[in-house]
Amino acid sequence: MELQADVSGTQQTQNPHFHVLAVDDSLTERKLLERLFKESSCEVTLVDSGDKALEYLRLLDSQESESTASSTSTRSLQKEGLKVNLIMTDYSMPGMSGYDLLKRVKGSSWKDIPVVVMSSENVPSRISMCLEEGAEEFLLKPLQLSDLKKLQPHLLKSLVYPSKVVNSSTDSGNDIAMNSTNNNVVIKRKAASPDPLERRPKLQGLAVV
Amino acid sequence: MDKNRHLQRQLDMKRSLLDQGYLDEQFIQLEELQDDDNPDFVEETVTTFYNNSARFLQNIEHTLGDCPIDFPKLDNYMHHFKGSSSSIGATRVKNECTRFIEYCQAANAQGCVRTFLQVKQEHAILKAKLETYFQMAKSRIAAGAPSLCRSKNTSFAEFASYRKYKLFRKSDIVYRYLK
Repeated sequence: MELQADVSGTQQTQNPHFHVLAVDDSLTERKLLERLFKESSCEVTLVDSGDKALEYLRLLDSQESESTASSTSTRSLQKEGLKVNLIMTDYSMPGMSGYDLLKRVKGSSWKDIPVVVMSSENVPSRISMCLEEGAEEFLLKPLQLSDLKKLQPHLLKSLVYPSKVVNSSTDSGNDIAMNSTNNNVVIKRKAASPDPLERRPKLQGLAVV
Repeated sequence: MDKNRHLQRQLDMKRSLLDQGYLDEQFIQLEELQDDDNPDFVEETVTTFYNNSARFLQNIEHTLGDCPIDFPKLDNYMHHFKGSSSSIGATRVKNECTRFIEYCQAANAQGCVRTFLQVKQEHAILKAKLETYFQMAKSRIAAGAPSLCRSKNTSFAEFASYRKYKLFRKSDIVYRYLK
């Protein structure tokens, strides 16, 4: 079920193909994720563990030792044909949890790639922990198409190179600004979005820095 | 049978499954993802669920038979099973899983054993009902009735009348979900 990442060669100009790396240990849920992303015109690679995700991102210790952190950048990985616009991970997985994976990604050359964590449980401390560690969103399962629409701004953001300053607003009302000096992304979410309360975790309206 | 009666039968059965709480809105979401390119998506997903869940139920059963019972292990298994159940909209199964997890976290072995029987029962009942439902779908398609998928081939009139019915039902369900 894995697809080849779309290699656009140089820059993504018109008609970009978003490539999502989805991590979930449940086969049933991977099937749903695959369908949801394809319905949203994204390419998706599905793996069943955090270790497999790291392997795909070439972040396993054996792979990382082949290049220094300073020379490996997302752009050079793109030159090698490896492009990931978004990482979606389940929180509860045997072995490496989604949180552990999030930490590893945010401490690597893939740190600018948005990471979204999913969970079937609405645990506020878990949610804030993930958001503080750099997760862009925390979505409650089971996922629906409307949840993927929320990911649009993050996917669009991933097309912008860190060196550029972008100020744009999307239909969902999020303001996205990239700070060129430290590559931090500030996302301000408007409170009281029209999502049903059961679908969003209780920290809606929290400014994420 | 008249092809529209086929459609009606299937829709009535789905309505009944929703009303009785066997399935919830998530099942509707799965059907929304079905189209000409993925005409069997719902049945495939349900089949995947049942193929995998059997293994988890066995693991839980074995773990319940251990002495002493490894409750954290049971908790992990059941969380996984509950997550998969909810992804196909299996409400009653999911609710029994929740009860099981509560007993598990209280290290209540008897409660776990009792509730596990309920989990297995709901799991089996839903399987039988969904098999009937998918069989109805196959009969309907064989009779040439309009597809429940979003189809390029369905005539606009057929699709519009089905869509109107479906939107009516969906708004009904959304109302119940929100209240």
